[in-house]
Amino acid sequence: MGKKIGLCVFGVMLSLLLVFPVLGAETIKLGALYNLTGGMSSIDAPALNGAKLQAKLINEKGGLLGKQVEVMGIDTKTDQKAAATGAKKALANNVVAGLGYGDTTFVMAAAPLFQQRGVPFVTSGATHPMLPQWVGDYMFMTPFGDDDQSFAIADYTVKQLGAKNVVVWTDNSMDFTKALSKFYKQRLEELGANVVLEDFFMMGDKDFSAQIARLNSANPKPDAVFISAIPNEAGLTVKQIREAGLTLPIVSGDGFDTELVTTVPGDKLANDVYFSTHTYREDNRPEVLAFVKAYEKEYGRPPENAFAALGYDAVGLIADAIQRAGTTEGKALRDALANTRGFKAVTGEISYTRPSGVPMKGVSIISVHDGKYKVEEVWFPKQ
Amino acid sequence: MNPNRNRLIFMTLILMGIGFVALVRSTVDEYVLSIINFVGINIVLAVSLNITNGFTGLFSLGHPGFMAIGGYVTAFLTFPVARKSMFLELPPWLANLELPFFPALLIGGVCAGLTGLLVGLPVLRLRGHYLAVATLGFLIIVQVLITNWESVTRGPLGLNGLPAFTNLWWVYPWVVLTVYVSWKLKFSSYGRSMISIREDDTAAQCLGVNLFQTRVVALVVGAFFAGVAGGLWAHLVTAITPTSFSLIMAFHIVVMVVVGGTGSITGAFIGAVIFSVLTEIFRPLEESLDAYGIGEVLMALILILILIFRPQGLFGSREPGFLSVRDRS
Repeated sequence: MGKKIGLCVFGVMLSLLLVFPVLGAETIKLGALYNLTGGMSSIDAPALNGAKLQAKLINEKGGLLGKQVEVMGIDTKTDQKAAATGAKKALANNVVAGLGYGDTTFVMAAAPLFQQRGVPFVTSGATHPMLPQWVGDYMFMTPFGDDDQSFAIADYTVKQLGAKNVVVWTDNSMDFTKALSKFYKQRLEELGANVVLEDFFMMGDKDFSAQIARLNSANPKPDAVFISAIPNEAGLTVKQIREAGLTLPIVSGDGFDTELVTTVPGDKLANDVYFSTHTYREDNRPEVLAFVKAYEKEYGRPPENAFAALGYDAVGLIADAIQRAGTTEGKALRDALANTRGFKAVTGEISYTRPSGVPMKGVSIISVHDGKYKVEEVWFPKQ
Repeated sequence: MNPNRNRLIFMTLILMGIGFVALVRSTVDEYVLSIINFVGINIVLAVSLNITNGFTGLFSLGHPGFMAIGGYVTAFLTFPVARKSMFLELPPWLANLELPFFPALLIGGVCAGLTGLLVGLPVLRLRGHYLAVATLGFLIIVQVLITNWESVTRGPLGLNGLPAFTNLWWVYPWVVLTVYVSWKLKFSSYGRSMISIREDDTAAQCLGVNLFQTRVVALVVGAFFAGVAGGLWAHLVTAITPTSFSLIMAFHIVVMVVVGGTGSITGAFIGAVIFSVLTEIFRPLEESLDAYGIGEVLMALILILILIFRPQGLFGSREPGFLSVRDRS
C-alpha cells in the first residue's frame, strides 16, 4: 500500500512540474536545436552554452527592440526524427529564427521546415558549402565552408611548407571528412602538387600501423601527410606517426582543432602539425578575449571548443540582423541577414557577399611545435 | 458473445480512430501532429515486430534494416525527377521514374519483404540469441552498404528534400491494416502454428507444423510492414541517412513490444503509444530545468519498474477481454 501511495505522490509531483510552463513577458524567441544527448553532444552542448551566453549578454544591455531575447534550447538526441519534431516544436512556438547543429545531416532534417515557413535558420557549426543551395534562401551559415578550409591548408602545404608530394588519409565514415579530402585534392591538383597515395580508415579505429607502413614505403617520398579526421582520431594518428619515427609535416582541417592533438602524443611528439580552423584559438582580437572571459565567468570553465564560439556568433548574427531590420518579421529579417557585411564575430568577420550563401570568412592556419599552438597566418577566400 | 458483436466493436473502434484523426488535424499545431504521426508509425513497427518476436518467438533486431530498405526504395521512387539528376547518378530507367506515394510505399514494402525472405532462408535456421546476433549482423550490413554505395545513396549524407507526403490520412490506414492483418493472423490456424512454435517447437513439429516455412512467413510479413513504415518515416522527416535506422531504434521497438506484452497486439499498440509519447512529455521538464537527458533516465526507470513488477508486460500474451470472442491467449 505504502508503495502505491509513494508512486502516486511521485506522479502528482511530476505532473505539477510539467503543467507549469515557463511564463514570462513578451520575448523574442530563438529556437536553438542541438543534440544535447547522444553522440553529437560534445560538439553541440558547448554551442548551446555559447548561444545562451550571447542572449544573456544582450539582455543585460537591454535586449533587442525593447524586448528580452529568449533562446529556447531543444534537445534532439542525435536523432533525425527528433530533429524534425524539434523544428516543428520551435515553429509552433513562433520563434523568429532558428539556429543550431554542428553537423550537416541534422541541419538537413530541420532547416527545410524553417525554409517552408519563411523563418530564417542559421547553422552554427555545419560546414558543407552546398547547404544554402540545398535548403534555400532562408538558410545561413556561421562557419566557413569545407572548401575554404581545405583550400587554405592546401595553399599552406604547397606554398609555405614547399610540399610537392602529399599522402592523403581520409576517415571514410563521415561526409564531412570525405568532403574535406575531396576539396584538398582538388586544390593540390590546381597548384601542381601530386597525391602520392590515398589511404582510408574508419571512425573509431585505434591502430594505424598498416597506414603508417604504407606511408613509410610510399614512392616518391611524401613531403607531407594530410589527415582528414575528427578529434578522436586526430591525437592518435599524430602519436602513432611520430612514434614510428616519421617526421614529415602532418596537416589537417578543423577536426584537429582540439587539445587531443597535444595531450595524446605528449608535448615532445606533437611537432610539425599544421591545421586550418576557425579564427579563434590563440587569437587576441578583443571580441575573442571578451568572449572567453564571459564564458569562464558564466560556466566556470574556458570554452570547450570552437563550437561554443560559433553558437555565440550565431545568436550574435541574428541579433545584429534584428537590430538592423527593426522588426522580427521573417522576410525583413532574412533580407537583413543576407545584407550582413563585416559583422565582427568571435570566429572572424562575416559577410554574405557570395551567391553561394557561404560567408566570406578568414581561416586560421595554426601550427603545433613542441605542444605549443601558434597562429601562422589567416587565409582569406578570393571572392 | 458472438462474432457479430465483435465485428461491431472493431468497426466502432475504426470509426472512432477516423474521428480522432479528423479532430486532431483541425485543432492541434504541427508539432503535436508530427508527434501523433510518429506514434502511428511506431505502432506499425511494434505491431509488425510483434508478429516475429511475439507470436513466433523469433528474437529479431533487424527491423530498422527493413525500414531502411523500404525508406530508401520509396524515396528513390517518389523523388522528383528534376532533383534526382541534381543529386544522384542513377541508371536512366530509375532516374526518369517518379511514382505517386502509394505505389512507391507498396514497392518499398515488397522490397523489404523480399529482403526478409532472402535473409530468412539462411538465418532462420538459427534460434534464440544466435538469431538475434544474426539479425543484428543484417542490420549492420544494410547500414554499411548504404553508406558506401555512394553513386546511388549519396553515402553518409543521405537523401534530403523528399516531398513531405506523410500525414495522418496516410499513417492511419496503415495502422489499421497492420493491426487487422496481425489480428487475423493471430486468430487463424496459421497464427496458432506460430504460437505453438514459440511455446515448444518440437511439439509443434510433431503435430505437423512446418517450422521453417512458418518462421519465414512471420519474418517476411513483419519485414513488409517495416518497409512501409520506413517509407512513411522518410516522407515525414523528409530526409533519410544511413544512420537514421540504427541499433538504438531496434531496441526502442523491442522495448515497446516487451512493455506491452510479447505476443499481445493490444500490448504492442499501447507500448508504442506510451513510449513515443513519454519522451515528448518529459521535454518541457527537461527544458524548464535545463537538465537535458532526464527524460531518457526516467524512461529507463519506468522500463526497469515494469520489468520488475510485471515481467510479462502490460497485457502478457493476451488481448483485453472485451475484444476477444472467447478468452483466447
